[in-house]
Amino acid sequence: MRTLARAYLRGLWDGKLVLGYTLLLSFSLLIIAPFLMILLRSVGKGWFGRLWFPPQLTLDWYRWAIEVGNIPEVMKNTLIIGVIAVAVSTVIGIFAGWAFGRRRMPGKEFLMAIVLLPRMIPPITYALGVAKIFYTLDLVDTYLGVALAHVSVCAPYAILVLATTFEALDERVLEAAGVCGANTLKRFFYVVLPLIMPGILASMIFSFTHSYNEFTLTLLTYGPHTVTLPVRTYLAVGDGYWEITSAMAVIMVLPSLLILAMIQRRAKPERLVGGFKGV
Amino acid sequence: MPEGMIEFREVTKRYGGLVANDRLSLTIRRGELMTLLGPSGCGKTTSLRCLTGYIRPDGGRILIDGKDVTDLPTHQRELGMVFQNFALFPHMNVWDNVAFPLMIRNAPKDQRAEQVGDALRLVRLEGYQGHFPRQLSGGQQQRVGLARALVYRPKVLLLDEPLSNLDAKLREEMRFEIKEVVTRLGITAMYVTHDQAEALALSDRVAIMNRGRLEQVGTPEEIYEQPQSRFVAEFIGLSNFLEGSVQTVDGDQMVVQAQHLRVRTAALPRVAPGQRVVLFVRPNEIEIRPRQEPGVPNLFEARVEKATYLGDTMDYRLTLGQGLDLRVQTDARNRHDQGAAVWLQLPRVRSWIAEKQ
Repeated sequence: MRTLARAYLRGLWDGKLVLGYTLLLSFSLLIIAPFLMILLRSVGKGWFGRLWFPPQLTLDWYRWAIEVGNIPEVMKNTLIIGVIAVAVSTVIGIFAGWAFGRRRMPGKEFLMAIVLLPRMIPPITYALGVAKIFYTLDLVDTYLGVALAHVSVCAPYAILVLATTFEALDERVLEAAGVCGANTLKRFFYVVLPLIMPGILASMIFSFTHSYNEFTLTLLTYGPHTVTLPVRTYLAVGDGYWEITSAMAVIMVLPSLLILAMIQRRAKPERLVGGFKGV
Repeated sequence: MPEGMIEFREVTKRYGGLVANDRLSLTIRRGELMTLLGPSGCGKTTSLRCLTGYIRPDGGRILIDGKDVTDLPTHQRELGMVFQNFALFPHMNVWDNVAFPLMIRNAPKDQRAEQVGDALRLVRLEGYQGHFPRQLSGGQQQRVGLARALVYRPKVLLLDEPLSNLDAKLREEMRFEIKEVVTRLGITAMYVTHDQAEALALSDRVAIMNRGRLEQVGTPEEIYEQPQSRFVAEFIGLSNFLEGSVQTVDGDQMVVQAQHLRVRTAALPRVAPGQRVVLFVRPNEIEIRPRQEPGVPNLFEARVEKATYLGDTMDYRLTLGQGLDLRVQTDARNRHDQGAAVWLQLPRVRSWIAEKQ
């Protein structure tokens, strides 16, 4: 009797495992399926109707995307805007993060809420306001303009990451360096800088990916000279060339994957975000 | 060569209305291990931070080796310091941590290697050069801290509650290790702690602080045997206090009436009958006798209220009637049951003039 019950329970347990794996697989498919679809689309030829797999493979769409879609130019715009956005948000992040992380000041929570506001309200609402201001200031269709629009998204992340980094910086460790004979300059270069570098790198990577992926704000501030990859891809959808659009989409994913690989290998993500805790 | 290695001269530091150091004057002799002991908030940390230059005193001067350092920034004071939370550099391995003071001073490479090696040997951490602080236990981290503080042979070693982040057993081991290292190097050390057992075990002299002032400075023995105030007696070791008034003074002896007890003790200088005094007896200085013995002074009848077995000692709470309780500790072989009637003998009673309240 007892063995029977045990076998029944084990069966239930096995069943649970099967169910678990099925759910996990479905979930993975849900994440991966769109990527697979785009990837196949970008190399498939004559793929119509209800076929599960394209009948013919080709790289023509990539050539088209690069030549007709002007991808090199667009990529250059995206990178320049990204670099400006990263530079500005990192500088803002260092100063604001220092204030948030290391200083006692009145209304800290309120100020933090204001900093996070651009991320909390619907992007399109915010973007409309930004567009109106930029038209007045003649910032539309300039690298600086689009980059500044991106900063409104990147800076909150930079501030959050750097505030945590600076908060984790132990005052006692700096004091110890002083007692050991290090003056302010040496304390900064030998102790402070190495300790905050991971945080600054993390903030720069976050800022760059956000600028790189930003769509709504770009859409309302770009012009013929400042088309970025997401916008270019979106426009191509409007033109109706699904295969070329897919090729662009795949090209767009590549740098993100590169950054992800870099983070995974070079630096431990948990170290990037938290700074050095538990010292 | 001045005798004092570290000198506080009337150092005062205020935080708003709070006086953390109130005209503190203290001299630490060359090669001496001095402990600043006191409850939290007594100002000992403030003194230490004035000495490191981390905070600036509002008044008074601080001298190290005869040189006025009051206006020198921290990094020019040539100090070695061990911190409560270790404060190692988390991004450097053990070797680089210990070598840091030498690196800052641009010491030549071979000298650096030799001195770091010596320092690591001194704290028995050879073979750990490549480890990072987070890979070490608390005790090992603190030994790295000690090596880093000593590596360039500073004139003065400061220890800021270095053992309070360690567990009890390790704390006791490290106590002797620190004492040994400091003695072997003959370095002048200032040790800050709130742990009286640590202070007694380690120090050449102890300075007891209370509310920004020094209560008493002396060897551990002096502090324990001849506390000069009720605060010191209360802070160091266990104590019983009895309040009473002087009945008669007879040469170098006086009799004090404390409730229904007549206690005979050494007379205080210039004391007159009627003077309110505080009597003080350590629990381990009281003898318990099973029966009355005629001719023995200071023998009082009592009842065992509570007997607690502590392994090596027995801890008794005895009541003498009229709400008078005494705590007594005796050898564990000297056993008396709860409720038993016994006789107490106080061979040694110290006294002070009672403070007016």
